[in-house]
Amino acid sequence: MSKITVSATVNGDAADFVCDATETLLDVLRDRLGLTGAKEGCGTGDCGACSVILNDRLVCACLVLGAEAQGAKIETVEGLANGETLHPLQRKFIEHAALQCGVCTPGFLVAAKSLIDHNPDPTEEQVRYWLAGNLCRCTGYDKIVRAVLDAAAEMREANHAA
Amino acid sequence: MHNFDFVKPATIADAVKALAKDGAQALSGGQTLIPTMKQRLAEPDVLVSLTGIAEMKGVCPSAEGLAVGAATTHSVVARDAAKPYPALAALAAGIGDPAVRNRGTVGGSLANNDPAACYPAGVLGSGATVVTNKRKIAADDYFQGMFTTALEDGEIITQVLFPVPQKAAYMKFNQPASRFALTGVFVAKFADHVRVAVTGASEGGVFRWKEAEAALGKDFSAKAVEGLTVPAKGMLSDLHGTAAYRANLVKVLTARAVSACA
Amino acid sequence: MDATPKPKKFIGAGHSTSHDSAARHVAGSATYIDDIREPEGTVHLAPGYAAKAACGRIAKCDLQAVRNYPGVVTVLTAADIPGVNDCSPGAGDDPVLAQTHITFHGQPIFCVVAETRLAARRAARLAIIEIEAEKPNVTVEDALAANKDVLPSYQFKRGDAAKAIADAPHQITDSFRIGGQEHFYLEGQIALAIPRENGEMLIHSSTQHPSEVQHVVAHMLGVADAAITCECRRMGGGFGGKESQAGQWAALAALATYKTGRAAKLRLDRDDDMIMTGKRHDFRVDWQAGFDASGRIQAVDTQLLSRCGVSADLSQGVNDRTMFHSDNGYFYPELSIFSRRLHTNTVSNTAFRGFGGPQGMVFAERMMEAIAIQTGLDPLDVRKRNYYTKGRDVTPYGQKVVDNILPEITAELERTSDYRKRAKAIKTFNDQSPILKKGIALTPVKFGISFTLASLNQAGALVHVYTDGSVQVNHGGTEMGQGLYTKVAQIVASEFGIPLEDVRITATTTDKVPNTSPTAASAGADLNGMAASRAAITIRDRLGEHAAKLWDVLPKQIRFEEGQVKAARKSMSFAALAKSAQLARIQLSATGFYATPDIHWDRAKAHGSPFFYFAYGAACSQVTIDTLTGEMTVDRVDILHDVGKSLNPAIDLGQIEGGFVQGMGWLTTEELVYDAQGKLRTHAPSTYKIPCASDVPSDFRTKLWKSDGNKSPTIFRSKAVGEPPVMLAISVYCAILRAVGSLNPAKLPPLDAPATPEMILRACRAMES
Repeated sequence: MSKITVSATVNGDAADFVCDATETLLDVLRDRLGLTGAKEGCGTGDCGACSVILNDRLVCACLVLGAEAQGAKIETVEGLANGETLHPLQRKFIEHAALQCGVCTPGFLVAAKSLIDHNPDPTEEQVRYWLAGNLCRCTGYDKIVRAVLDAAAEMREANHAA
Repeated sequence: MHNFDFVKPATIADAVKALAKDGAQALSGGQTLIPTMKQRLAEPDVLVSLTGIAEMKGVCPSAEGLAVGAATTHSVVARDAAKPYPALAALAAGIGDPAVRNRGTVGGSLANNDPAACYPAGVLGSGATVVTNKRKIAADDYFQGMFTTALEDGEIITQVLFPVPQKAAYMKFNQPASRFALTGVFVAKFADHVRVAVTGASEGGVFRWKEAEAALGKDFSAKAVEGLTVPAKGMLSDLHGTAAYRANLVKVLTARAVSACA
Repeated sequence: MDATPKPKKFIGAGHSTSHDSAARHVAGSATYIDDIREPEGTVHLAPGYAAKAACGRIAKCDLQAVRNYPGVVTVLTAADIPGVNDCSPGAGDDPVLAQTHITFHGQPIFCVVAETRLAARRAARLAIIEIEAEKPNVTVEDALAANKDVLPSYQFKRGDAAKAIADAPHQITDSFRIGGQEHFYLEGQIALAIPRENGEMLIHSSTQHPSEVQHVVAHMLGVADAAITCECRRMGGGFGGKESQAGQWAALAALATYKTGRAAKLRLDRDDDMIMTGKRHDFRVDWQAGFDASGRIQAVDTQLLSRCGVSADLSQGVNDRTMFHSDNGYFYPELSIFSRRLHTNTVSNTAFRGFGGPQGMVFAERMMEAIAIQTGLDPLDVRKRNYYTKGRDVTPYGQKVVDNILPEITAELERTSDYRKRAKAIKTFNDQSPILKKGIALTPVKFGISFTLASLNQAGALVHVYTDGSVQVNHGGTEMGQGLYTKVAQIVASEFGIPLEDVRITATTTDKVPNTSPTAASAGADLNGMAASRAAITIRDRLGEHAAKLWDVLPKQIRFEEGQVKAARKSMSFAALAKSAQLARIQLSATGFYATPDIHWDRAKAHGSPFFYFAYGAACSQVTIDTLTGEMTVDRVDILHDVGKSLNPAIDLGQIEGGFVQGMGWLTTEELVYDAQGKLRTHAPSTYKIPCASDVPSDFRTKLWKSDGNKSPTIFRSKAVGEPPVMLAISVYCAILRAVGSLNPAKLPPLDAPATPEMILRACRAMES
């Protein structure tokens, strides 16, 4: 079985790597690229802890083969902040105390970013259903939903002002 | 996972060629196949990705109905079928979660024919035609029991043609953990007939509830199914629900789907 | 560039500040054990078990194909264990690897050690194992028929309950079931063992109890405890599931390191994790009560029958607590509370947030609903009528309730939730709605704080002050997301009067603070906060004496505030004083130790005051059910909860909301299904349903009770908050009961927990017949 060479863009930077055909995108991100923000919570696409954005679409990195990332644009939690400046979602998650143990947090942030990318003005119900694929066992979700709505509102205002 | 090679052809012809090899298996969105391979329940030697084939993607109206490319993801169907076939778009929008909808495809769902999947209900309920690289298969002939279809080795679904009914609705009761259908009912009212397809409920996979079709053909109202009974015999009984519970859901959801058509 | 440093913030105890790791959590840079850069040559482990059988003699275990699989380094079996083959928390009945027999499905028999995790997992499936399978005992009924227990039965008694019930104006007899619960911590069980010189080992373990992991590993390797260090910086959730359950995986990793000399990592696959680790105990409760027409209880007789699994694990404490909380907030004049700890051939059940208490409370609240139905009273009135009051204030185990605030909390929540008006509106709605039915319930929580095993009520801490004024704090408590590290840092910052950012939190490790208790029983902040406070005060007193000498003032004149040390008109920075003290040869490091005072418990006599105090709260939940499908939605939740003087309101609110939702999942959707062969069928998130964002009501109102502070002298008069909120969710179960009950107001719905849609539909049908 031969190794596969893949060229992709990860968080805006070119990323070339080799992987086995069996490796998932999550394996590649964590073990080959050292990006450990995405976690394996279940390995079957049911918990959302490995959420990343692949070509502008939210996916579970544990259910995408690394080889499928050829030529793709990948966004992970590590790319959310702009240098020292946190993304509004990151700031609001901290402000609203929308995290506890933190394992699900990167997945929620990436999923929420994907939502706001496509729908800058989501309703509360849309947020709840969009995030239904991301499991959190600590917070009870209310603070997460508030944080996402608050971040979306702030981003709309910023866009409006700009 | 078992070791395998990975190829990603750009045309249907190349995909068919790749799939002709021993131990080759088609990979579409991977939302079922990849977890299955992790469990070592599937062990292909060559995985042939169908996601790079442009001619297998997209939603467009045609003379034979709404044509949906087999490699079209659920989220694209949810968006692009919203006007031409709202009930189908709603079905697609209700599958799984956003990540699943962004990867999972119509063709993948139909080829797998999970007894609790949503698409089989939409395809059978619409009386759609499954188009492969070799032939066209009527929905009534395509589904042959759970995880069993009319597809032959190496045959791949390229497109599905959906006749668009006058009215239609899909009602699903989620198995809450997986969001597959514990029971789902697709009701479609055409000019001269009604089709009712049920997924998630039967040991035989997706099926048409012909008694309801006949009753609704005469009187397309929720009341028309009130007098019918769904026998629990032959219904699935598992950790998520008993046969009796599913039989009850079939009737309740059918009535609600009819009401939703109004 | 602005060269002005950012002003430092003084966020001591009592203020909301974000979780100490929040910035790293949102950046994805917080390091969990699986994220630690692996030492070169790290091997990976995967346990193997008999796929087809639950219990019986191991007739054959052929591992040849496993050993031959590419990438496999070695395969561990019980024969490789140099010390004692046990990872139990004390009873000696939990083998690390089964040797001659297996007792439950999924019990590890061997463990593959391979170059990669994937290779280890693939190879693990290649074993040929034959079991002389025996019929497993799976259910409560199986265990009763076999008359098998893991521990002796236990009873609380007062008066003659049977006679008092018979003599009471009204009686009820009922039996129902309460399901178990999978922890579903998002980070699964994991351990990384790293060899050190001279046979020593460092174990990174995701554990609530590093001292026990240290001990289990040492015991298993046959080395001194002092040779093993266990460290845990953070867990990705614990909930009780990493109290005793972390030991086995750490032991296996350590055994692999012992055998190969290489670092070894074991991260359980999610399915394996769910199959191989213990869960919340499930129960059948058979009970009777006698009461008068006003709904006041005269006597209670309850039998709490729990499935403990194959070994003792923590079942004594868990089932004792079920008994301790089967009164919830109510006075039972005469009583018999009887508990059986049944042996079943299923994975040994273990600690889970609430530690048995929630099951006892579900019983009490179902009884309140039953009495309301039989008397025709509103259940809230029945509850109030049975609350502990003066003269009726002794619990079934002899502790006097002296800090009861349930009447006040209930009254306020009744008002703020608009309970009466909504209950009336719901009655009208139900009368007019044939298919959808609503229900509302307001239920209290009274939860005893302290480990009921008295020896665990102790904690240690270690505080260092450095000469630049920065501080390091370490203590025996572990961080699993609950914000313990943050609270303890706030306490230390308060004691020194310095900015929170000057206090650095360090990973819990057995080489800094030894012989610790598990972080459990909600007692993390109570115990470790107090220990850290004492350590800080010891150093502060030394610094104060030094400053007093420098300035020729009395030590008691010295104040530590806003980063300064002050007395009269003198002041200097905390850092300057630290430097000065070091030059004067004054020790700037101290340990602190705390043992909870005033608690005593005589288990043989079932009498004493095992709890330092009680935490209180109440919740009002409203639900809608669909009587044709059993589907249920929670429409609104109002919570009022007592945390004493909060150490950190933001963190406490998070604990309350999260605990409530976890409890709601337990009682509504989280169904563990074992088949007749003893196999767990719900072993993945695709079959086991925990709540998600769309299951939680958007109308979710949580408030902290305005408290004058804990009556007991806890750290800054705060109260424990980890477990009590789970039981607020019993209001959801009771609201469902009310909704189903609306179909036939004279009948107690036969509703077991979890109240899944099918269970609700079945209860609805039973009401009609």
